[in-house]
Amino acid sequence: MMCADLTQSMGRKCTALAALLLLATGSAAAAPVVKTEHVQADLTAERTSVRPGEPAPVGLRLRMTEHWHTYWKNPGDSGLPTRIKWELPQGWKAGEIQWPYPKPLPVGPLMNYGYEDEVVLLTDITPPASAKPGTYPVKAKAEWLVCKDICIPEKGELDLDLVVGTGEPAVNPRYISHFERTRATLPAEAPGWKFESALQGGKLVVRMLPPAGATAPKAITFFPEREQVVEPAAPPKLTREGNAARIEMKLADPPPTGVTVVKGVAVSDDGWPGIARKAIQVEAPVSGSIAPAAAGTTKSSGGGVATSTAAALFFALVGGMLLNLMPCVFPVLGIKVLGFVQHAHGEARALRIQGWAFFAGTVISFLLLAGIMLALRAGGAQLGWGFQLQSPGVVMLLAALFFVLALNLSGVFEWGAFAQSMTAKLSARGRYADAFLSGVVASVVATPCTAPFMGAAVGFTLTQDAALALAVFAMLGIGMALPVLALSHFPALMRRLPRPGPWMETFKQVLAFPLYATVAWLAWVLGAQAGNDAVLALLAGLVLVAMGAWMFGRWEHAEKPWRAAVAAILTGTGLVVAWPGTLDAPAPGIPTARAGELQWEEWSPERVAQLNAQGKAVFVDFTAAWCVTCQVNKRIALHNDAVVREFGVRGVVPLRADWTRQDPRITAALSALGRNAVPVYALYIPGESAPRLLPEVLTPTLVIAELAQVQPAKSATAAITPADRTFK
Amino acid sequence: MTRLLALAIASAFSAAAFANASVGKPAPNFTVTDLDGKPAKLEDYKGKTVVLEWTNFGCPFVQKHYKSGNMQALQKKYGADVVWLAVNSTNKSAWDWTEPTKISKQLKDFGAAPARYLVDEPGKVGMAYGAKTTPHMFIIDGTGKVVYNGAIDSIRSSDVDDVKKATNYVAVALDELKAGKAVSTASTTPYGCTVKYR
Repeated sequence: MMCADLTQSMGRKCTALAALLLLATGSAAAAPVVKTEHVQADLTAERTSVRPGEPAPVGLRLRMTEHWHTYWKNPGDSGLPTRIKWELPQGWKAGEIQWPYPKPLPVGPLMNYGYEDEVVLLTDITPPASAKPGTYPVKAKAEWLVCKDICIPEKGELDLDLVVGTGEPAVNPRYISHFERTRATLPAEAPGWKFESALQGGKLVVRMLPPAGATAPKAITFFPEREQVVEPAAPPKLTREGNAARIEMKLADPPPTGVTVVKGVAVSDDGWPGIARKAIQVEAPVSGSIAPAAAGTTKSSGGGVATSTAAALFFALVGGMLLNLMPCVFPVLGIKVLGFVQHAHGEARALRIQGWAFFAGTVISFLLLAGIMLALRAGGAQLGWGFQLQSPGVVMLLAALFFVLALNLSGVFEWGAFAQSMTAKLSARGRYADAFLSGVVASVVATPCTAPFMGAAVGFTLTQDAALALAVFAMLGIGMALPVLALSHFPALMRRLPRPGPWMETFKQVLAFPLYATVAWLAWVLGAQAGNDAVLALLAGLVLVAMGAWMFGRWEHAEKPWRAAVAAILTGTGLVVAWPGTLDAPAPGIPTARAGELQWEEWSPERVAQLNAQGKAVFVDFTAAWCVTCQVNKRIALHNDAVVREFGVRGVVPLRADWTRQDPRITAALSALGRNAVPVYALYIPGESAPRLLPEVLTPTLVIAELAQVQPAKSATAAITPADRTFK
Repeated sequence: MTRLLALAIASAFSAAAFANASVGKPAPNFTVTDLDGKPAKLEDYKGKTVVLEWTNFGCPFVQKHYKSGNMQALQKKYGADVVWLAVNSTNKSAWDWTEPTKISKQLKDFGAAPARYLVDEPGKVGMAYGAKTTPHMFIIDGTGKVVYNGAIDSIRSSDVDDVKKATNYVAVALDELKAGKAVSTASTTPYGCTVKYR
C-alpha cells in the first residue's frame, strides 16, 4: 500500500491518487471509489439528473476504517477539517460544505470533534441557467486528515459525471438513503429559539431559550464553530433555568478576542421539541454578561415567581413564617410556645438561649434536608421539595413519629421533647437540647406543607448553584424559627398570654388531636402509594408502638430496668411490622368523579398540547396526596359548585398531575414552570405564550376570576385555528 | 451515580493535570532527560531566549517542516541567539514511539540542529505547557516569561509546498525579540498531530 509506514517512508507523500480504484463507471452519479489506507472515498449525487440553474446536492462520502476519524470544521485541540476544492465546468458553482454535527472524540487529555465510521459532506453544485443538456464532468480535490493514534493526511481526486436535463430529476435509488441519513445529521434551524452568550469569568456562557411552551432538552452538547474559543477538553456545565438551558464552557487561554456572536451546533440525543433533528444551529450574540437569571419566563398572576435573588430570599423568609400556621407544624409550635409560657416569668437569658437553640435546630435541619436533595439531584435524580414523602418508608416513619408525639401529648407517657420543656426541674442544658430538638422536629413535620410564597422561592433554587440554593433554604428555616425566636426575646409579648396553670395541660392534650389527624392523613397517603395492605401493616405496627408507649408510661415511677427495654422492643417491632416493603402497587389513578365534581383527566404534556391545539383551555392541578395544601385547596376551591360550573361554561379541561410518587415527567414539567414543589396550578389558554400560574392557596373567587380570562367555550373553538398552536 | 462521580473526578484530574503556558505567564520549570540521558532544566537557560518545539518524526506535519528543511533552517539561523529545545512527549506504547538511539540517527539524517532533544516520556512537560500538537511552538524570553504559544506557521496543512507560502510565526517572533520589540502575533492555534499522551 502507498501509505504503509510513514516513519520509514518519511520522504513520501501519501496520496490516494495512485491507489485509485475504478469500481463503477459509465452511469451518471455513480463515481469511482478512491481507496486510501484508511478511507474509501467517493462522490455521490442524490438525483440522476440536474436542472439548469438549480442547485443539486453532491456528497463526498468518506468511509473510515474502524476507529479512525476525520474532522469537523472546528477539529478541536488538534486535527484539520476536511477540505474540498471543486473543479467544475465553466459557469458552474459550488456552495459551502454542509457539515453534519460532530461527535466528541477524546484523545488522552485532549479533545477532538469529528466523525467515525462514515461521513457524507454535502455541497450544493449549481449548473448555470444556460447549461445545455448533456453530461458534465465534476471533479473534487479533497484533502482529509484521518487519525486514530496517529494521523495520516490523505487526499484524493474524485470524479462524478452530472447529467443536465430539463425533465424532473429522478431520485438515484442507490444513494437516496445516505442522503436522507445525512440530512438528519445536519443541524437544523431552530425557529422560536433565542440564544445569548457572554464571555465572563473565564467561561463561555451560552443560554438557550426555547419558544413558549417548550422545554430545552436535558442533555445538550455545544460545539462552537470557531477554534480557540473554548478549551474543548474541559467538561462543560449544563444548568437549567426554568425551561431554558445554560451551558458554561471553559474559555480558551488566551481568551478569544473580537467575538461578537458565538456560532455553533447544539446536539441533544433526545432531540429538540418540535424539531425532527438531533442538532440545531446556534447563533448567540455576545452581551456583556449573563447573570444566572431566574426562571422568569412564566407568567404568574399571584404567589409570584421569584425573579431575583433578593426576591427569592424574601419570599423564602415569608414562606417560612407562614409555615408555622400550616396544620402539620402548628401543634409542634403550640407546644413550644407553651414551654415559653412556663418560663416567661423566669430567667430572661435562659429563655433567649432556648429561642436560639430552636432557631439553630430549625435552620440546620432545613440545610441538611436541602443538602440531601441537592446532592441527589446533582446525581441526576429528578427530585423536588417534598421528595422525602414520595418514599413510602418515610411516610410510614413520619406517621409513627406523629403518633408517638400525639401519645405523648395525650399523657400516655411523660417523656420526650415536649414534656421536658415544661418541667422546671430539668437542667438548663437539657432544656437547650430540647429546644434544638423541637426545631428539628418542627422542620421535619413542616416538609409536607408548602406555604404560600414558598413555591416560588423553592422553584428559584432549581436554577441556582448550590450555595444560593442553600441560602434560600436557610432563609425558609429562619423564617419558620423567627416567631419563636421573637417570643423568646420579648417576654413582654408572652405576658399577654394567660398565666401558666392547669389550662396548659388541657391545651396540650387538645393539641394531640391535630397530630392524630395527621397520622390518619399519612395513612391515607401511604395507601395511595403502596396500597391497602400497607395501611393495615402501618396500623398494626402503630398498635405495637402504642403498647410500648403505654408500658413506658404505666410503670414510669417503678424504676424497673426492663421498662425502657420492653418499650423499645415493642416500638421496634411495631416499626418493622409497619414498614411498607417493596411497593408495586399501581400508581394512583384518577378516581371517578362524583356528581357535581370536576371530571379530572390524567395529565401528560402531550394531552395539554393536544387540547390547546383544539382551542381548549387546560387547567393543570399539580398535586400529591402528601401535600396538605393541595388537599385543602381541592376541598375548598376546586370542588366548589360555582367553580365547577365556571369550568363547564368556559370549556376548561381539568388535568391532574399526581406527584404522590416520583415521576420525572412531572418534575420536569414543574421545573419548566420554574417550580419544584406542589401545589402548582397552571392555566394554559390557547394563543397565550405562557401558562398562567395561580397562587398556592386557592379560594373559589380567585379560581373563578382566573377562569374568566378564558373565552367561553363556543367562541374559543371558532377563533382558534391550528396555526395558533403554541404548545408542542 | 457512581459512574457520574468517577467521571467528575476523572475530568477534574485531567483538567488539573493539563495546564496551559499562556503568553505573559511565567514558563513552567521542568527537569527532563535529553537523548543522552543527561538532565535538562529550564532554569539552566535563565537569561536566554528558549524555543520549545514539540516534535515527533512519525507525524506527517512534523515531516512537512523537516522534509522542506524549514525547521532545520530555523534551528541553525537562530541557534546562536536562542536555546532551541526539541521536546517529544509521545508515550512509549504509542505507535510512533521511537527509541532515543533511532532518533539520534533521524536527527542526523535530517541535518536537524536543536540544542537538545528532550525525551518527555511521561508527558509531564507537555502537560504543564499544554502542548497539544506536533509541532507546537513556545518561545520563552530571558525573564522566563512565555512570549509565544502556537503554530509554527500560518498555513494549516501537511503539504510541503505550503511552507514557502506561509508566514512563519516563530521566525517573526524571534526577529522581533532580537530587535527588542514585543511579539506582534503571540498566540495562534497550533496545528498538527495530537500529542500522544499516556
